[in-house]
Parts: sequence; structure tokens; C-alpha cells
Amino acid sequence: MKPNDVNEHWQMKANETEQQFLKLAKTVRTDERVPGGFAARVMSQVREQHALETSSADEQFLRLARNLPDNERVPYAFEKRIMARLHDLLTPDPLTHWSRILWRAAAPCLGVMMLAMLFSAGEPTDPSAALPADQPEAADFESVMLASFDDLELTW
Amino acid sequence: MQAAETIPDTDVRTDEELVGLVVGGAVDWFEELITRYQPRVFGMARKYFRNESDVEDVVQTIFTKTFQKLGSYKGTAPFEHWFMRLSVNTCYDALRRRRNRPEHTISDMLFDDENWQDRLGNIPSGDDPEGLEQARELVHTVLDQVSDRARIVLTLQELEGRSIREISGITGWSVSLVKVQAFRARKEMRTAVERFLMKEKRL
Repeated sequence: MKPNDVNEHWQMKANETEQQFLKLAKTVRTDERVPGGFAARVMSQVREQHALETSSADEQFLRLARNLPDNERVPYAFEKRIMARLHDLLTPDPLTHWSRILWRAAAPCLGVMMLAMLFSAGEPTDPSAALPADQPEAADFESVMLASFDDLELTW
Repeated sequence: MQAAETIPDTDVRTDEELVGLVVGGAVDWFEELITRYQPRVFGMARKYFRNESDVEDVVQTIFTKTFQKLGSYKGTAPFEHWFMRLSVNTCYDALRRRRNRPEHTISDMLFDDENWQDRLGNIPSGDDPEGLEQARELVHTVLDQVSDRARIVLTLQELEGRSIREISGITGWSVSLVKVQAFRARKEMRTAVERFLMKEKRL
């Protein structure tokens, strides 16, 4: 055999072995077994890390907030502004005073109105019925008094 | 004798004396009380509100309320305590009123140049006004995410270092309620910080 043939022979042999190995490797199933409690172990680590991050952020936030100096700057003449407002509050406004009086008067007025309603409810609604039988002049008197107004309506 | 004359009257009057004068009708003495307390009140209001006009409004309300309620001050506790209680409660009321209009969303507060974690870790020095302003913005943004009660408790307990009993005295809530609120507040704050970090990681 020539050296070239030897090389080719070995090359073929190697390829065959490789093919066989790959075939064998493909037959081996993927081992998907999981160690017991693996997920729980990982999750506890994740939680720990998360808690560490967030609690430190929480603490960092408070540290930052505590270390901020108070801004006690007061606007110019603020006290004068407040005093002017207070003086305004103390000075009686005539309209406010008047409306207050009106409101106070509202309750007695309402009372008087209710009383008037009660009294009028007791009265008969028909005016002719209210007139005593022995005084027919009263009805006549009313018609005479209102006659001019009736005429006025006709002329318009 | 001469030295005594140079000291203005206002410096020697206690808060309680000033209150007595104002209640007695000398209303102008109230200005002295305002001058004494306004830096503290502004400092406190700025912890709850970021908008300067909101701060001025709430401080004005605090002093107006103080003036109106001065007659109810019995003098059994120092004026300062009574006043601070009124101030904190006024801020709480203002926070509740403002709750309907949230100022910033989470996305508004994600920074282009630096991430949150870096910002949390960088405490700006006093001579860095821009850094201080950014840090204040960050603190406000997180605290805007928590409930009003939680914000009050967090500010008083965690930022001002007050005890549970003190907070109870200031807010008028029972000690057990303050304890429960403190626990919840801490949880809410943690959630708010986490939310920002998670949102940033997702982007």
C-alpha cells in the first residue's frame, strides 16, 4: 500500500468511528432529573437577594430623607401678609353683617308664616259661606268694590 | 439698666404671655408669634407639599386657624405643643383634600441620567442646591405614593425621629393606632420604593 492509501484508509476509519460515536451519543437520552428541592433552593436565594436589594433601597431612602436639611425659608414679609388677612377677618363687613341678620330673621319669619298658615287653614275657603246669612251686604260690597277692576279688564 | 432697655419687649415675652395678650385684644402681638414659628412651620409644610403655593396656602391656614382657636388654648400644655398639633392636623387635612389630584406618576420620575438606586445612595451635600432639590423631589415622589396617614406617621417618626407617644399626642390618635399606622406606613413606603425600582428595571 502506498502512503496515500494508508492515509485515506485511516481517514475513513476515523470518520466511521466519529459517525458511530455520534450515533451512540444521539441514543443517550437527556437526563432531566432534578435534585430534590432544587427549585425551592433557587427561589430562596432569589428571594434573599431581592429582599436584600429592596430592604437596602428602603433603608437608603429613609437615610436620604432624614439627611435632607429642612428648608425653613420664609417668603418676604409673610407675617405682614397674615396679619393683613387677620385684620380683614376682624373688620366686620357690612354685607356679611346684613346677611347674618337676615339669616337670623329667617327662622322667626318662617314661624310666623307657619302660624298664619295654621290660622288660615281653620278658615272656610268659600268667602260667601263665611258671610253670615243675615249680612248679604258684605258680598254686595265686595262686588261693588271690584266692579271697576272688572271694567278695566274689559277695556284692555 | 441701659442694656435692659435695648432688649425689645418681644424677646422677653413667652409664648403663653403673647397668647394672653392676643386673646385680651392686643391682636398685633400675634405677629410676634408668627415671626417666631413661621420658619418651623414652613420647614414642616415643605415636608408634606412640594408645590410652593400649596406650602404658602397651608401655612396661611395654620396661622389663621391658630388665631381663630387661640381662645380655646387653656395653657395646660406648652403653647408650642398645642400649636404643632394644630399645624400637623391642618397639614393632614390639606393632604386629604389634595389627594384627589395626584401630581406625578411613576413614569414621570424615572431619571434619564442616573438610576434610582444611585440616587438613593447619593446623599447631597448642603452646598449642592441642585442635588438637594433632586433629592427632595425623589422623597416627595415616594411619599406621594403612600396614604396620607402613612405619610404623616412616616414624617413624624422616621424623618423627625418622634416617639410613638409624641405622635399620639400630636395627631390625637391612640398609641395603639399610631403603632398600627407606623407598621403599615413602613410597609407602604417599602412597596412604593420597590415599585419604582421594579418599574425602572423593566424599562
